[in-house]
Amino acid sequence: MVRVKSRYLLCEVNVSESRDLLLLDDRAVAGAVRSAVARMHGDYGAALCSIRLSVKYLNVHNGMVFLRFPKSCYQLLWSALPFITNIESRGQQIPCFLNCLHVGGTIRTCQKFLIRYNTQQLQRILPKCKNAAEKDQVCQEILNCLPTRGSKPTYEGGSEFEDERE
Amino acid sequence: CAAMMQGQTSDWKIAGPCTFHRVVLKNASPHHYMKVHLELEDNSNRLSAVELKHFIIAGLKNLHGEVGAALNFDVLKYDEGSLTALLRVHSSGLVKLWSSLTLLGSYQNQSCAFRVLQVSPFLLALTGNSRELQLH
Amino acid sequence: MQDLSRCPRNLLVCERSSFQNEKNRVSAQVEQMHFNYKVSLLLPDCSSAPSHLDETLKSFNSFYLIKKLPIYKLLNENFLRSAIYNGSVYGLSHQTRIDEDNCVSLMPNGILTLSLDKDSFELLGFEGKPSRFNHRRCSRFVVTVNLTDSCMAPGRRNYLRLLEGLKSRLPLQTDFLLSHHPGGGASLHPLLSCCDWSEHQPEVKFRSLTNVSFPVPESCDPHSFLQWLGAVESGVSGENSSNSFLSSLICPEPKTQTNCALSACVSGMLLPQDIQRLIGQLRSADGTHSKHVGVGLVCDSPVSQESPGAGPVLGGADSSRFRGQPRVLGRERAWISSRRRELLQPADVPRPHLPPSLGCRRTRCLPTVMPLTHQNQEN
Repeated sequence: MVRVKSRYLLCEVNVSESRDLLLLDDRAVAGAVRSAVARMHGDYGAALCSIRLSVKYLNVHNGMVFLRFPKSCYQLLWSALPFITNIESRGQQIPCFLNCLHVGGTIRTCQKFLIRYNTQQLQRILPKCKNAAEKDQVCQEILNCLPTRGSKPTYEGGSEFEDERE
Repeated sequence: CAAMMQGQTSDWKIAGPCTFHRVVLKNASPHHYMKVHLELEDNSNRLSAVELKHFIIAGLKNLHGEVGAALNFDVLKYDEGSLTALLRVHSSGLVKLWSSLTLLGSYQNQSCAFRVLQVSPFLLALTGNSRELQLH
Repeated sequence: MQDLSRCPRNLLVCERSSFQNEKNRVSAQVEQMHFNYKVSLLLPDCSSAPSHLDETLKSFNSFYLIKKLPIYKLLNENFLRSAIYNGSVYGLSHQTRIDEDNCVSLMPNGILTLSLDKDSFELLGFEGKPSRFNHRRCSRFVVTVNLTDSCMAPGRRNYLRLLEGLKSRLPLQTDFLLSHHPGGGASLHPLLSCCDWSEHQPEVKFRSLTNVSFPVPESCDPHSFLQWLGAVESGVSGENSSNSFLSSLICPEPKTQTNCALSACVSGMLLPQDIQRLIGQLRSADGTHSKHVGVGLVCDSPVSQESPGAGPVLGGADSSRFRGQPRVLGRERAWISSRRRELLQPADVPRPHLPPSLGCRRTRCLPTVMPLTHQNQEN
């Protein structure tokens, strides 16, 4: 079966003040990406943005963003992401930068990666816990992270691009 | 493949003057050359070479943004009278340059057009154009 | 979506040898190029052309231009007998663009090639092949006819069919350039007598240059050498500083400086035989006052054939360059290069999209299926 191929970029919005994140919304992030691509790649880039670019998911609490790009030009669009220095949202300029964590062929592989990534982050937090209650809470969170529905808890990398071979 | 090419080129250099030596270079041309002619609405208007290059860079910036504006190309020769120029561009930038020349439509609020007369990976090929053979 | 950094394919074949070397293929290469537009020579340390060279350049065979020649006249029986069966005829339609117009060529081996658009091809009703240039969309057709073939002899069925087609169904008319070796105008008389024609002599131009930097050929790669030669030919200055805004072209290092040089060029419809003669002249040239001899050959013809039987190459141009250095340290050397150029001559109007030549040349990446199947077998 033939389908339209996309690439999903899992990015992290880094801000200095974490409450700024709450101001963000899908449209603001998409607008920032569009304007950065238009600046770096001109009308050509702007035209590519109009094909199938969209913000699939935005977590305003930890700043995780899923960006969908057409597969044919995702590298060109990706190259403009480092040039985003602020996002304008609700009349406010939020200074930030985007950090790309993962590139996947489907949302599902990106989600798997995100779960694995968050687990790692929690494990990193664990030694820094100050008291037993905090420790227990983090341990509980780690256990909650483990995917249910019978899939393997440790994620095997290597087949992120499910549609890589055509 | 690139390494093989390198090897061949260095062989080429050390080969003695009288021995037979043959090198085949596939798609290895580092530059492409274009002969372009600028058509302006108002013929009395003249551009200098610097203005022309600035104009082309502005066009590149419009179509391909800052990445395009950073593209390296040379104006090898420019004739102010006939508004004809010889451009040299890295092969990787040929499409960007060509497409932005095509879409350059106005110069100082008057319409204009670039006519691409010849394009070649070899500068020598631009010294003659059989389409210019005029017989009376 | 296409990769913007791709450019059209190109191929450069460089040969360097002595003229005396038996592997030297200068003559064979020149022979294969039927339609030549320009030959240029660069003579370093030379302020005026040596008399023998001047003579050779000015004695190139003349060619004929026939205005509005109905193409069926090329099948005239008398013309076939006097010109095509005896000696070699070089014929090419003039001021026709291969990407837009119908083009006609007549090669010395008697092969008549018509490059037609789809409508004209269907009107003509003669066997042909789709043009090999654009593999994706077949919009042009090539009809190749060997006039010396027995089935194309006057009166035979194929002959009559083509004649009928060109006379009534597709009355093709075009300006035509014609040349004959060795007969010249006399052999072409049956055709010329019934048309509006004029005789033309190839144009010879001399240009003296001062203060030219020459790269040392041994330490210079072919591409930069060709670039340098092109820059000298087109009068581009190679004296640019690295921070120049306009151009950063420089003569390849190491280089030598000469006070004067002479650039000579002949342009028109040039016969390979004349070019052979010129090369022979250079081969035996007295090297007392010329240190380098370079011959540039730009052959640019709308229908140009690489080898007999190959289809015309759209906007094709074959170029060869010969570079000799007669009698330096008592030895003679030549540097030959030949190259093929694919369609790079755009139509007059820049098209409002990316060059089409890129679209049809996408190479397919091999899928990574192979290693996976191996793994499966191992498992």
